[in-house]
Amino acid sequence: MPKLSIDNKQIEVPDGWTILDAAEKAGIEIPKMCFLKPYKATTSCMVCVVRLADSDALVPACGWVVQDGMIVDTKSEVVTQSRKAALELLLSDHLGDCIGPCQTACPAQMNIPLMIRQIAAGQYKQALKNVKQDIAMPAVLSRICSAPCEKACRRGQIDEAVSVCLLKRFVADVDLQSQQPWRPECKDLCGKTVAVIGAGPAGLSAAYYLRQSGYQCTVFDDHDKAGGMLRYGIDEDVLPPDILDSEIKTLMDCGIEFKGNVTIGKDIPFDRLRKEFDSVFIAIGKPPKNSGQLFGLPINEKGIVIERNTYETALEGVFAGGDIVRNRRQAVRSVADGKEAAIAISQVLKGQAVSGQRHRFNSRFGKLKDGEKDPVIFGASVGQRTEADSKTGLTAQQAQIESQRCLHCDCRKADNCKLRDIAERYGAKSTRYKDPDRKLFVQNTEHDLIVYEPGKCIACGLCLQIAAESGEEIGLSFINRGFDVRVDVPFGRPMNVSLLKSAEKCVNCCPTGALALKDM
Amino acid sequence: MITSDTNKSEPFNGLFVDQTVKRLGTDAHLVLDILQEIQRHYGYLPQPALERVCELTEITPASIAGVSTFYSQFRHKPAGKHRVQVCIGTACHVKGAQPVHDGFKRYLNIGEDDDTDAEKNFTVEKVACLGCCTLAPAVQIGEITYGHVTAETAGDVIQDFLKYLEQQKKQDSKKQDSQDKSLALPEIRVSLDSCCVARGCGKVFKATEEALDETGIRARIKPVGCVGICDETPLLEVAIPSKKNSIYARVEPEDVKPILLRHFKMPAVSKRISHIVSGALDRLVSDNGRQGVTRHLLDFRDKQISAYMDSQKQITTLGCSSEDPGDIEAYLQADGFESLRHCLENLTPSQVIEQVTKSQLRGRGGAGFSTGFKWQTVYEQDSEIKYLICNGDEGDPGAFMNRMLLESCPYRIIEGMAIAAYAVGANQGYFYIRAEYPIALKRVAEALDICKKRNLIGHNILGSNFSFSLEIKKGAGAFVCGEETALIAAIQGQRGMPRLRPPYPSQNGLWGQPTLVNNVETYATVPWIIKKSPETFAAIGTEKSKGTKVFSLAGKIRRGALIEVPMGITLKDIVEKIGGGVPGGRELKAVQVGGPSGGCVPARLAHTKIDYEDLTNVGAIMGSGGLVVLDDGDCMVDIARYFLEFTEEESCGKCTFCRIGTRRMLDIMNRICQGEGEKGDIEELEKLSQLVRQGSLCGLGKTAPTPVITTIEYFREEYEAHIEGRCPAGKCKALVEYSVTDDCIGCTVCAQSCPADAIEMRPYEKHEIDSEKCTRCDVCRPGCPADAIIVR
Repeated sequence: MPKLSIDNKQIEVPDGWTILDAAEKAGIEIPKMCFLKPYKATTSCMVCVVRLADSDALVPACGWVVQDGMIVDTKSEVVTQSRKAALELLLSDHLGDCIGPCQTACPAQMNIPLMIRQIAAGQYKQALKNVKQDIAMPAVLSRICSAPCEKACRRGQIDEAVSVCLLKRFVADVDLQSQQPWRPECKDLCGKTVAVIGAGPAGLSAAYYLRQSGYQCTVFDDHDKAGGMLRYGIDEDVLPPDILDSEIKTLMDCGIEFKGNVTIGKDIPFDRLRKEFDSVFIAIGKPPKNSGQLFGLPINEKGIVIERNTYETALEGVFAGGDIVRNRRQAVRSVADGKEAAIAISQVLKGQAVSGQRHRFNSRFGKLKDGEKDPVIFGASVGQRTEADSKTGLTAQQAQIESQRCLHCDCRKADNCKLRDIAERYGAKSTRYKDPDRKLFVQNTEHDLIVYEPGKCIACGLCLQIAAESGEEIGLSFINRGFDVRVDVPFGRPMNVSLLKSAEKCVNCCPTGALALKDM
Repeated sequence: MITSDTNKSEPFNGLFVDQTVKRLGTDAHLVLDILQEIQRHYGYLPQPALERVCELTEITPASIAGVSTFYSQFRHKPAGKHRVQVCIGTACHVKGAQPVHDGFKRYLNIGEDDDTDAEKNFTVEKVACLGCCTLAPAVQIGEITYGHVTAETAGDVIQDFLKYLEQQKKQDSKKQDSQDKSLALPEIRVSLDSCCVARGCGKVFKATEEALDETGIRARIKPVGCVGICDETPLLEVAIPSKKNSIYARVEPEDVKPILLRHFKMPAVSKRISHIVSGALDRLVSDNGRQGVTRHLLDFRDKQISAYMDSQKQITTLGCSSEDPGDIEAYLQADGFESLRHCLENLTPSQVIEQVTKSQLRGRGGAGFSTGFKWQTVYEQDSEIKYLICNGDEGDPGAFMNRMLLESCPYRIIEGMAIAAYAVGANQGYFYIRAEYPIALKRVAEALDICKKRNLIGHNILGSNFSFSLEIKKGAGAFVCGEETALIAAIQGQRGMPRLRPPYPSQNGLWGQPTLVNNVETYATVPWIIKKSPETFAAIGTEKSKGTKVFSLAGKIRRGALIEVPMGITLKDIVEKIGGGVPGGRELKAVQVGGPSGGCVPARLAHTKIDYEDLTNVGAIMGSGGLVVLDDGDCMVDIARYFLEFTEEESCGKCTFCRIGTRRMLDIMNRICQGEGEKGDIEELEKLSQLVRQGSLCGLGKTAPTPVITTIEYFREEYEAHIEGRCPAGKCKALVEYSVTDDCIGCTVCAQSCPADAIEMRPYEKHEIDSEKCTRCDVCRPGCPADAIIVR
């Protein structure tokens, strides 16, 4: 039995074991993408490289058989950097978005494509839940939002963007007009308390998510009613007060306390608030002019100075968000601030490391090229964008029709992609290496169950092995070589004759979104 | 792309496929052999034929699709009747292969995205290397190779080829009498390897036959292999027993008869003919007849030729030029197969390995691994079945050593292989020879047949207990198959993808059995070592690099040639003493050693010795033996880009660093050569080079950055110049302009030849080039009789 040293751990393994086997035995984690037990190691992706100390060679751990006396290093800088470089090279040839461009553009990072598919499936309740995970007041927002999502919508490069705002409004209005609007499940109160100063979009949003996480929230505002700039800064024709009132009510009904006509710093000293509450969130809207400081906090031209990801101010336990830190009016940004600050506040109150909202790795497709219109629109409706009367919004039928226009830019395997996970772990940048002549987008939808996007394939060949093992008569093959290598069906046959038995298994084993199930 | 392009109205006739499968067999590993037959027959791979193969054999659709799209030899679209293969090997590249390629496409009116003319007569393709570097730029059409082709003469080549076809048709009806083979007769030797044939040796051969017929002179015509001085061919040697041999260079068919009459008395000839002949002879010797006639007489070149031979030492190439490559008697007379006999009769396998180990022979394929050690490893494997492979997949653009050895001394290689097989205990061997070498394939096949008949290969060789069978596998165009594990995959009928080593083929190779893989040159060296003793061999060379090395010397050199030199000779001596220096008053800039895996050694390091370690120390590698000489007119950035483009194209596509890493490097190189380089590009190239070198799986990827690394190291200022928008050598199209100087005589030749209408015709006036319209095709410049077109 050969012995080896792996990250200075001495272990003995049976003959024929690979370095990866040995590392697993030693409890050392090595990332792997193209390798999957029990299939043959193809040693292609190279994210599992380790360094052999004696020869200073970088070798793939998945296929390299242990030899006696080997000294292996899996954690040094050169190993980490090489793995990162392998990922970045793969990403430079990766044609696809992890999340849709609409969601990327949305300050609140709402999962718009999913909402649209839920509408298409008639699952309005699920759609609303999905929306409210990121946007506390969709009925309000959908009436006033500047809609960066629609500016980024890929459909806009073909004809016109999908009517995202109207669809969102449809979902929110259906819920609001229902007998019992949806209320999220809130955790039992844990005993910790948060004071929110300002009942505008940022403050209400923060309170809403904090309450869901089990914190007692009190919202202070110098007006008698909640709403802030939503109530006092927007034309009633655009945002009818009854909509505002009923949507605020859905939030307050979760168990949020509102104290109107209270000006912090005047009626209640700021320091007292800090003492009485475990945490304070300042969301009082646009900063007052010509004031050097606010609540003892320094102000610059934008407002209160905060840590970008955590919304922490210079004072411990005090957070700030919304227009007071940005000095601009964008309701959706404020709602997003409230949600993100709630995450950071919750981390502090739980005694966790404060990192704020987790930003997931995202690969970007970029602009469409000539000749990509047809493959991109394939599967979606070719119809024109639906416009609607500003009073009534979309009818259910219109919403159905409009939802069919979505191109499903987001990856079907965004939450189940090894490439994305490992890229995130290694801090890989998808734009590190530029591709001056990227390949054309192709999607193969010939199969009943699955979609194949060659642009996302890393040429690991697992599906080839699975198809062969399953006894597929036609199966899959590598076509061409070098940079032009791709997986395809022999003789240009359609995919539905190629994978008769093993389609789902291929999808499950595919390390990226190249092979995915059609259903969402 | 696998799509059906067969004419739908014509039902596919699969009879040929059925016959082929019946003849070759149905095993899955025969896929390459079957595909090659199909392509030979149909000119491409019709999809119905491939489907039929899957029905008849164990070959799966996945396998046939994967294999047929991996090797660049295979086409999936119908090709023209004749394939115009433009060599883009290194030597051809530096002499303008790209404009030649474009010239053919222009002449045949082929669109940018197409490769075949409308009449489906000609398909124009690029090939990695034809191995005729001294003819650069070379073009092969069918069996004919044309040398020194320019963009302007592309049309002439096509016309000449059509003429040749007509002649062939006429000749087919005539039968030739076989030659008298009596050994006592004088010999007329004509070199007949592929570069010589390309330069008209075939015609000279025919002219000789006719001349002998006509004059009644009794002599034997003997085709011989490469003599190494390719630039001087066609060569004709008159060897009369007891007289000094006379060699004539650059012989034209019409010169043959006068030459023969100079040496032989005609038995019967009319006065009239005699008179004409003496006139011809006068012209030959007096130098005042037809211009250039004296060039045909080799006497005045004696000095250079002997200098050429003096610096060399022939071991591997010994006798190649004086023997008919297919003549087994000649080989046997020169003690051929005596080394094998000696091994079988007097030495145990261990003793043979000991001899090879003692000689300190290192693998001639490039890496320089100890041959004795490799043999020992295979020998030690406890296995009933062992294999032996001769790696003849010479794919380096700018290298033709193996082609020449295979064409000129097949018996020596076979003998070396048989000795090796005996030593390691292998009973089955394979020649893996690339399909681009048709003459080599033919010669080896013929030689193998003869060996089998004479019991030099087969059962109980030479009456011993040792049996060894040998067959040929034809490569299908994949440079990566020079890597031994990829080569094994190819023989097994798979895509030529390398795999991790260890296990090494010596432990686990072909069909999972211990396999000895050596290069052509390595095997060809073995019989000499056995015959002359390992000590004699080890006495030649340097401390760690022993014996000799065969190189193909090409590029900007006066005498391009195949040479065999003792290890330890300097690059300078090779260039100056053997190659006669750089022609045209240009200066030596660098020597590219080792092809796409090698590096550019700058002129200031020309004292570097031919030695595995010394070459590695200057950033190059010994490689398989390509030496391309570059002069001050060559752009080093372009050279590096050229090699990188080659390896990127030849990457098998398996591992990320090679597949995508080389592409990203090439992106940057292309940008730099197009004048779109940015600050930081050089550093980015260096970083990527390091990643690709360290992270790639096999030798191809690991060495792919070498040309870039060495040129950045030695010629960094040229990269910087490109980024600033200048190509100092005037090579990179996007960075240069063509213009006409005051030397213009107004002859209008340029205007007539310009394919882009960028020059207005103005008789007797100075011409001008419209830079907007000019495509930098370089047709006008070489054609100008006044040298008045310059590149800046």
